[in-house]
Amino acid sequence: MKIGICASDHTPESLVAGRFARAPYFAVYNSETLDFAFFNNTAKDEGSGAGGKAVKVLGNLNVDIVLVPELGPKAIDALNAFEIKSYQYKQGKTVREALYEYFEKKLPEMLDASVKGKH
Amino acid sequence: MKIAILSGKGGTGKTTLSVNLFSSLNKVTLIDTDVEEPNSHLFLNGNTYHEEDINKQYPVVDHDLCTLCGECGEFCNFNAIIPAKKKVLVFDDLCHDCGGCKLVCPTNAISYTDKVIGKIFYQSVGDNKQFLYGKLTIGEISGVRIIEHLKNVTKKEEILLIDSPPGTSCSTVASIEGSDYCIIAAEPTPFGLSDMRMVVELLREQKLDFGVVVNKSNLGNDDIYKYLEEESIELLGNIEFREEFAKIIARGELLVDHSEYVRNIMNNIIKKVLGETYA
Repeated sequence: MKIGICASDHTPESLVAGRFARAPYFAVYNSETLDFAFFNNTAKDEGSGAGGKAVKVLGNLNVDIVLVPELGPKAIDALNAFEIKSYQYKQGKTVREALYEYFEKKLPEMLDASVKGKH
Repeated sequence: MKIAILSGKGGTGKTTLSVNLFSSLNKVTLIDTDVEEPNSHLFLNGNTYHEEDINKQYPVVDHDLCTLCGECGEFCNFNAIIPAKKKVLVFDDLCHDCGGCKLVCPTNAISYTDKVIGKIFYQSVGDNKQFLYGKLTIGEISGVRIIEHLKNVTKKEEILLIDSPPGTSCSTVASIEGSDYCIIAAEPTPFGLSDMRMVVELLREQKLDFGVVVNKSNLGNDDIYKYLEEESIELLGNIEFREEFAKIIARGELLVDHSEYVRNIMNNIIKKVLGETYA
C-alpha cells in the first residue's frame, strides 16, 4: 500500500503542507518496503484546476491513500474517480508524525469537501 | 464607426457617458458589454423585443469508446478534463471551450455539448434606436463569449457605442477590440489616474485611438491634466460634479434630459469624435 502525504519539504521530518493541491511536495510512503519517496508537486503552480491535477499526480504515483489538510469539491470528485481514500491531518506535525497518526487510526476519513471551491 | 467607452476604475462614468451620448445621437446603437453587472438598460427604459441564450460548449466523454489513454488530460491547460482510473472527469466550469481535447482524442470518444452561460437582450429605444445588453449567469467564469456575440450581431451598425466593463482584463479587451475610437471616462483622483494609466497602456498596446473625458472635474487634483499633457492625450471634455447630477443619476434618469450644460458637453464630444454632421 502507498500513502501520499502533502509535505512542505522533502524529508520525513518536514512539516506537513497547509494546502493540498498547492503543497510543494508529495511524500509517498510504501508500507511494504517501509520507504519514503518525495516528488515535486507539478500541480502547485497551475492557474486553475490545481486540485484535479494534484490528484492526477498522486494517481500516477499509484497512491492508495492520501493524508491532507483540506480538500475542495473538485479534489474530492477526482480522488473518488482515482479510487484514492483521504484522511485529514492537523497542521504543525511532521510528515512522519502524520503517518504514525494515520496508522494509529487517529485521522478522520474525508468523505466531503472541507472547503469551498475557488474560482 | 465603433466607439468604445471604458475607464479602468469603476464608477468613473462609463455608463453615464454611454447612455447620454446615445441619447444625444439620432441614429445609433448601444451595446452594454459589462455583462457581469449591466446597468445601461436601467437608464434607457427600452422595449425588449428579443432574448437570446448564449451557450458555451464543454466535452462529454463516451466511456465505451474511451481507452483512458490520457491524451485529453495532457492537452488541457485548465485541468478541465482529467482521465482517472475507470472514467474521465470533466469540470465544465473550468473548460474554456477550445475544442483541443476532442482533437487529440485518438478514439473519437469526446463530443461537445451546450451549456447556457448567459443571455443577450435586444431592446428598441424610441423610434429608431437599438440597445443590446448581455448578462452573464452568476458563477460563470467568463463573459467574453457573450461580448463577442454582442459585437458580432451589431458589426454592421453605422454608429455603435460600446459600454465596456471596468478593468483591463479579457472582458475589456474583448469589448474594445476592433473599435475605431475609444473614450476613457476618467476622474481626477489618485485612484482614477492610477487605473487610467493601465487603460492607456492597454489602448496603446492594442494600437487604438483614444481621448479622455474627465468626469467630476472639479473634484480631486490636477495630476490627471498634467498626465494628459505629458502624454499628449486628447482631452475631449470636462464634466463638473454637481449635486443635482448625482441626484438625477441616482434616480436612474438621463443628465441630458435635465441639463443644458451636459447636453452641450455631449454635443462637443460627438463633434470631436464623429464630426460636425452627427452633432
